[in-house]
Amino acid sequence: MKYETQKIAYQYFVAATLLFGLQVIFGLITGAKYVWDYDPLINFIPFNTSRAIHMNLLVIWLLIGFMGGTYYLVPEEAETDIYSPRLAAIQLYCFVAIGVAAIIGYLAGWSWGMPFLEQPTVLKFGIVIVALIFLFNIFMTMMKTKKWTVIQGVLLGGLVMLALLFLFGVFFVRNLSTQYYWWWWVIHLWVEGAWELVAGAIIAFILLKLTGVDRELVEKWLYVEVGLVLFTGIAGTGHHYYWIGTPKYWFWVGGIFSALEPLPILFMVIDTLRDVREKRIEIENRIPLYWAVGSAVMHFLGAGVWGFAHTLPQINKWTHGTQVTASHGHFAFFGAYVMINLTMIYFAVPRIRGVSLKGHGRSLVALRLMVFSIFFMVLALGIAGVVQSYLQRILGMDYLTTQDYMKLWYAVMWVSGWGVVTGVFIYIVDFFSMGKPSKITA
Amino acid sequence: MTLSQGRAIFIWGTVISAVIFLGLTYDSISKMPERTHEEKLSDEVANGKWTWQRYNCNDCHTILGIGGYYAPDLTKVMSRRDPEWTRQFLKDPHKVWPAKRRMPNLHLKDEEIGNLVAFLSWVNGIDTNNWPPKPMAVAAAGPSQMPGEAVFKAQGCSACHKLSGVGGDIGPDLTHVGGKRTPEWIQQQLENPKSHFPDSPMPSFAKLSPKDMKDLVDFLSSLQ
Repeated sequence: MKYETQKIAYQYFVAATLLFGLQVIFGLITGAKYVWDYDPLINFIPFNTSRAIHMNLLVIWLLIGFMGGTYYLVPEEAETDIYSPRLAAIQLYCFVAIGVAAIIGYLAGWSWGMPFLEQPTVLKFGIVIVALIFLFNIFMTMMKTKKWTVIQGVLLGGLVMLALLFLFGVFFVRNLSTQYYWWWWVIHLWVEGAWELVAGAIIAFILLKLTGVDRELVEKWLYVEVGLVLFTGIAGTGHHYYWIGTPKYWFWVGGIFSALEPLPILFMVIDTLRDVREKRIEIENRIPLYWAVGSAVMHFLGAGVWGFAHTLPQINKWTHGTQVTASHGHFAFFGAYVMINLTMIYFAVPRIRGVSLKGHGRSLVALRLMVFSIFFMVLALGIAGVVQSYLQRILGMDYLTTQDYMKLWYAVMWVSGWGVVTGVFIYIVDFFSMGKPSKITA
Repeated sequence: MTLSQGRAIFIWGTVISAVIFLGLTYDSISKMPERTHEEKLSDEVANGKWTWQRYNCNDCHTILGIGGYYAPDLTKVMSRRDPEWTRQFLKDPHKVWPAKRRMPNLHLKDEEIGNLVAFLSWVNGIDTNNWPPKPMAVAAAGPSQMPGEAVFKAQGCSACHKLSGVGGDIGPDLTHVGGKRTPEWIQQQLENPKSHFPDSPMPSFAKLSPKDMKDLVDFLSSLQ
C-alpha cells in the first residue's frame, strides 16, 4: 500500500464479506423450498422474499466490493491520495443502510416487484445519490493525477456506465414489455457491459502488480478485451429480446452477437495465463493469483460456455424460463464477479494490513470447496432445467407436475449449496484472521 | 499490435455495436404499441401491473419467461384458465388448488384481483413470437377432437385429477373414468359433488354454461 487513504477499502471489504455470508444463507433458505413442498416459513419468508433477498444481497455485496477495489486501486494508479476519505466512509454507511432498509422492507412486504430491482423507489433514489457521491469522489481523485492510465480510464468508464444504466430501472412503465425492454438495460448491460469493464480494470491492475509484466502489454490487451466485450455484449442484449414482445430480427442480432460473447472471455483466460508465465518478479503472495486464474477459468465456463449453450433462439425457445437459466446465472455470477471480488480482497487486504499470506492454506481450502460445490450445484440445476424443458415444453406436462420429477436434482443442488456455504464461512474466518498474522503462522 | 491499435478496437467495437443496438431499439420501441396492442392497455391493466409488482409476484412466477422459477409461467395463463376460476384462485389459492407446493394467501382485495386478471388477460395478447412453444408431443398428436378438453384445462381440473399420469392426486385418476361412470353420473358429480360423496372437497361446477357442461361430460365419458 502506497497511500494512507487506500485504507478505506478495508471497511468496504468487511461489509462485502459479511453480506456475502448472509447472501448464501438466504440461498440455502430459498433452495430448501424447492426440496420440500411443505414450507414452514411461507407466511414469514415466502419464496419470493427469500429470492429477492438472496439476489439483492449478491448485487449489494459485489458492488460494495467493486467500490472498495476502486478506492484501493485509484490512488496507486493516479499516484495521489483519495480526494475525500471521509466522503468515502459516509458513502459506505449510506449504502449499507439502504441495503439493510431494503431487506427489512422485503421481509415486511415492501417491494417494487421487478426482479433484482425490487428496491422501493425512494431507496432507489438513495442508491443514485450514493453512486453520485462515489463517482464524484473517484473523479476528483483522478483529476489530481498527472498521468492518465488506461486502467483508470476503463474503470471510470465502467463506473459511469453502471450509474447511468441504473436509471433505466427506476421508473414504472405501464407496458410490461416496454418495462422489461429497459429492465434489461440495467441487468444485461450491467453484467455483460459495465461490470466487465470494472472487473477487467481491476484484474489488469492486479496482474500488473503481481507479475510485473509491461504496463503497455496489460493495457493493450485490456483495450482489446473490453472492446470485444462491448462489441458482443451491447448488441448481444438482443438474446433477451426474443420472447418479450419485440420483433423477430432480434433472433439474428441476439444470436450472432451473443454467440461471439465467449471470445473476449477466452482472451482474458489466455491473457491471464500469459501474464503469469511471463512474470518479471517472483510472486510472493500467490493466493490472489490462484483466485485470479480460477476466476478466469470459471468465468469462461459459467458465462461463456454455459451462456452459449442456450443463447441461440432455436435452443432458447425450449429452455427460456426454466432452471437452465438459474444454472447459468449461478455459474456466471460466481465465476465472473464473486471470484474477482475475492481476488481483489486477497490482493489488497494483506497490503492494507501489512501482513504476509504465508501459511494461508485456508484460503485455498475455501477456493477449492466453493469451486467444487458450485460446479455440482450448477450441474444439478442444469439437469433439473433440461428435465423441465423436456417434460414441460416437449411433452406438455403442467408445471407443477414437472417439479416432482426434478426433486432429486433439487436435492443435489441443496446439498452442494451447503458445500458453498461452508466454503464461504471458511473464507470469512480466513478474512478476519488476515489481520492476526501471529496466530496463523504459529 | 500496438496500444493505439488496441484503443481503435475498443472504440470501433463499442461504436459499431452501440449504433446497431440503438437503431434497433428505436425500431422496437416504435413497434411496441402494435405488438402489445397498447390500445387495450387500460388503467385497470396498469393498476394490475402495479398490483403484480407490489406483491412481488415476479419473484415466484416467471412472466414472458423472466423471474422466479418456483411457480408456473403466467405469460399465456389466461388461454388456459377462465377469469372466474382465476378470481376464485387469487382469493384463496390453496382452497381452489390444493397442490403440495403452496401459494400463500395474499389477502387481496376484490379490486386488486380484478386488476390482476385484467393485467394477465392483456399480457396474454402480447405477440411473443409464439413463446412458450406449443409442446412437440401435443403438436404431433394434432388438434384435439374434443372441445371438452379445453374446458377441462380452463377449469384447472388437473390440479386435483390425473389424466394419463399428468395432474394432481387429491381427487381420483380420471384416465378411464368414462368406462366406469355413466354420462349422467358424471354430470351429477360435476353439478353437485356432495350428492355422491357427502365429504367431497370438490367444488360444484354448476356455474358452467350448458354447452361447456355438455362438452366436458362428453370429453370425460370418452375416456374409456
